[in-house]
Amino acid sequence: MRFSCNWIRELVPGLSASPAELAAQITMKTAECEGVEPFAPWLERVCAARVIEVSPIAGAGNVLARIDAGPELGERQVVCGAPNCLPGLLTAYVPAGLSLGARQIRRAVVSGHESDGMLASGSELGINRDDEGVLELPATVSPGAPLAEVDFVIEVDNKSLTHRPDLWGHVGMAREVAAFSGLSLRDPVDESLLPRGSGEWSIAVHDYGLSPRYSALVFENVSVGPSPVWLQARLEALGLNPISNVVDVTNLIMAELAQPMHAFDADHLRGHTIQVRRARDGEQFAALNGETYTLAPRHVVIADDSGAIALGGVIGGAGSAIGASTQRIVLESANFDAATIRKTSAELKLRTDASMRFEKAQDPANTTRALARAITLLEQVSPGIRLVGGLLDAWQPPPQREPIRLPLDWLADKLGLAVPAGRVRSILELLEFRVEEAEPGVFAVHVPSWRATKDVTIKDDLLEEVGRMIGYAEVPLEAPLQPVRRPWVNQERLYHHELRRTAAALGFAELLNYSFVSEETASRFNMEPGDHLRVANPISSEQGLMRISLLPGIHRCIVENAKRFDEFRLFEIGSEIHKRSAGELPDEIPHLMAALYRKQGDGAAGLLELKRLAEALLPGAQAQPADARPYEHPARAAVILLRGEVLGRLYEIHPSLVETGRAAVLDIDLKKAHQMGSEPRRYKPLRRYPSSDFDLSVVAGLRVLAGDLIAQIRAAAGEACDEVEYLYSYRGHPLPDDRQSLSFRITVSAPDRTFNNEELTRIRNAVMDALRGRGYELRA
Amino acid sequence: MSILQTLTQLEARAVTLLEGATCADDLETARVEFLGRKGALATISKEMGRLSPEERAQVGRLLNEVKQNLEARYEARKSAFERAALDARLAGEWLDLTLPAPGPRPAPLHPLTQIQRELEDLFTSLGFAVVDGPEVETEWYNFDALNIPPTHPARDAQDTFWMEDGHLLRTHTSPVQVRAMERFGAPLRIIAPGRVFRNEELDASHEHTFYQIEGMMVDRHVSVGHMLYFMKSLLAAIFSREVTVRLRPGFFPFVEPGFELDIQCLICGGAGCPVCKQSGWVELLPCGLVHPNVLRAGGLDPEQWNGFAFGLGLTRLVMMRYGIDDIRHLAAGDLRFLGQF
Repeated sequence: MRFSCNWIRELVPGLSASPAELAAQITMKTAECEGVEPFAPWLERVCAARVIEVSPIAGAGNVLARIDAGPELGERQVVCGAPNCLPGLLTAYVPAGLSLGARQIRRAVVSGHESDGMLASGSELGINRDDEGVLELPATVSPGAPLAEVDFVIEVDNKSLTHRPDLWGHVGMAREVAAFSGLSLRDPVDESLLPRGSGEWSIAVHDYGLSPRYSALVFENVSVGPSPVWLQARLEALGLNPISNVVDVTNLIMAELAQPMHAFDADHLRGHTIQVRRARDGEQFAALNGETYTLAPRHVVIADDSGAIALGGVIGGAGSAIGASTQRIVLESANFDAATIRKTSAELKLRTDASMRFEKAQDPANTTRALARAITLLEQVSPGIRLVGGLLDAWQPPPQREPIRLPLDWLADKLGLAVPAGRVRSILELLEFRVEEAEPGVFAVHVPSWRATKDVTIKDDLLEEVGRMIGYAEVPLEAPLQPVRRPWVNQERLYHHELRRTAAALGFAELLNYSFVSEETASRFNMEPGDHLRVANPISSEQGLMRISLLPGIHRCIVENAKRFDEFRLFEIGSEIHKRSAGELPDEIPHLMAALYRKQGDGAAGLLELKRLAEALLPGAQAQPADARPYEHPARAAVILLRGEVLGRLYEIHPSLVETGRAAVLDIDLKKAHQMGSEPRRYKPLRRYPSSDFDLSVVAGLRVLAGDLIAQIRAAAGEACDEVEYLYSYRGHPLPDDRQSLSFRITVSAPDRTFNNEELTRIRNAVMDALRGRGYELRA
Repeated sequence: MSILQTLTQLEARAVTLLEGATCADDLETARVEFLGRKGALATISKEMGRLSPEERAQVGRLLNEVKQNLEARYEARKSAFERAALDARLAGEWLDLTLPAPGPRPAPLHPLTQIQRELEDLFTSLGFAVVDGPEVETEWYNFDALNIPPTHPARDAQDTFWMEDGHLLRTHTSPVQVRAMERFGAPLRIIAPGRVFRNEELDASHEHTFYQIEGMMVDRHVSVGHMLYFMKSLLAAIFSREVTVRLRPGFFPFVEPGFELDIQCLICGGAGCPVCKQSGWVELLPCGLVHPNVLRAGGLDPEQWNGFAFGLGLTRLVMMRYGIDDIRHLAAGDLRFLGQF
């Protein structure tokens, strides 16, 4: 929302703050200002000038004009190409040496003649968008008069105004400024101007829930034309497009009182009843913007006897628009239900200055104020305009609201500052709240209508009013008193942090991927799109589904980083999101996924390094070969087991999914892992007698698992076994091609003695017999 | 020649040999010759039996002196040779310690994790519990419970990712306020760090996925003054220096009153610079007193309890700290970026 400083000054007589000071004060007291900028600062040096004489220039479209630029500048000669540059015209003269924004106006020779400055169009001056000819000024302006005084525009963040319907107009902001400056607001509205009596027009509101109030005036003898320059400039300064005097007045009042208005050409309406009703299902509506909308009963329309003439609170209709030939108008000033307008405008993707205001819940009391203001302004811009009949006003006044009880000790407690009752009262009264003393120390506060629609409803809202007007800098800092109590400890989060540190220490870089996955990617990893939670309104297909595995993201990172690095390690801790039954929130399961990529080599070392990571993260974890999933290397996939529970997977990504090199992946379910916890430790007495060891080489098939052999050896060696250590494996002569030899070192001991040779041989034989019993040969 | 003279001459010769030895072998040869079991001194010692008791005492004393002298010289020379040999061996073991260590380098944690962890520790030290909430939320927790009525613009489709089943991706960490009140009751001190989502187009300063830390304190009498004190202490800890803060009005439906908290620009100290756009102040975080409706939603009676809440933009803090100019780096997984932290 843009605010004109000049306008605020007009509404707050005596205001002396500079635009920058004003913006800073508004930021601290009311709403966040995003910037202050001068509006068309050249306008105070552009002046009115009368064209005295025009002579054609042979061979050129331009004419040579002699102009009277007033007593100070005198007569000048300019070359002008505008078709309306005719003797007698009163227009805008830009003296040489002035800059219109980026454009520098210089004394120059144009079409063979010296041109001392230029005559300018409204568009060149930045006060409207008319570039058909030079600006035409009314006869009331004298040559030499500056076109406009300098104005500054303060831009306020719309988000900081969403709760304040009143601040969508200058009067609302001026009221704030007056309050924090200790000045009074000059209300531009004179409601005594509203006509009484009745006429042929009437209003029928079908549902006051949709439109709590609909007011209108009818005017005749209207002459439609351009607005005066000051009005056009003001609208342009606020970012509103000047259109015609009648439309400009409605927009000016909207910017002043926050009350959107609409003027219908009365001669284009059928019948004399303005209806406010729900649209019919499928009702067609041709809007001012050239679009046609198909409406439904959830939309509210303004209708005449033939159908919709406006989409209530959003936009007017094309059929009854004000045009050059308009002579009679119906001027609407109505109030609409905020939620209805917001939904309509969102659904039809039609956000207008009107809908933006109505969706903030405007004040129904404001409609007739705006009409009273329109009477004054229309008389200025369309001399001779006449009211027809009395005020048309259909409304159901809202129920009287109880005042808010404001206990002053509560206020002091919450603010952290005891504010004297008199100061509380004066602050609230400056903001036009009505304050009564309900009982000693308790105020009963009546909320003004423009703050009562949804903004101020409870005492906490009044706390804010008092606090911001005093300024929070006055509140003394005070340490909160808190119970001495150890906070709840989030063990799961600490566990994740510990895993992060371990993985990073082992060389794995942490990254974070999105929670989204595209349908295409999911399919690539043979994950059913139907198993995913689906986003109803993704911006792109990349955000279509919620991930049920971290793999697609990790895979993308592998592929991208493989373009730049020959070897890398990375990991992510993030949630898999799994659908549950309807109505339930999904199951968010934290996972750790680590990956190791090497461009060179056969990938075996990478897998084993990841296995080491698994052992570091989950002490005691084991890998057990498992059937590969489609995206896994068919011969290199395992589950990660901890005390018999499956906690994750270790695999190489299927080489067809990695262009060059090999990528191994470790995936751990951290929810399960955390639930398993670590095994309780118990001290075992240290063995006092030296242990003994012996080596064995087992000849076995190529896919016999070392882990299985170790388990068998351990079982056969029994209680005495301290450790079975894998030493190495061997293939080749003299072993047949389908055999390998695996060598182990078995360490044994007893608590009360060192084994003698006989005992050792017995253990060794037991192990060998057990292995032979399973069909393995033993090498010497 | 008397035996004493022989001994004296022998000593002189031995000293010459021991001191003149140029290697450990020469030294050993000399030791065997004089100090060995069959060496010169041993021979003299054997001959002592033939001497008179007086001579024996005299020769014995001298013999002892000579033996001690030679042994000391031998030991000194021997350890000198050993030391020299050790020095020579070690010198040959010169190692270029600028060579890279074998094995993978320890890797960095994501900058978001690092700062988040720091803040978790900081808040824990202030007595706050670190609480989690789901990323896929119900409309109730994300909006209704936070006093965001169905018609609030924040619910517009362009801001929220909706699931087909009617749930949504939380648009802020604030739903954890209500979940925490339900779970822990009052009094309460919590933070909730986490991932949040907004349905926005990606560019250098906009992400659809970013990180926040929600904070909340609920007790019997919590005032704006308490909140200011707390924020000042918190920010002093975050920035490791004293900070000047100010509150100005800000509208957030789940707090009343609501504030934007600014800190005096740490770059220029408030004088005005490009970082603070010449204003001297930098907008840092939204905060406020918890709205009574939110307390009610969390099962607390607003006449009995109240509190303050705030939201810290973790992503923004990370970008500020490291001077990161493009938010998209944080989720790109590019090791050239991640390797810098």
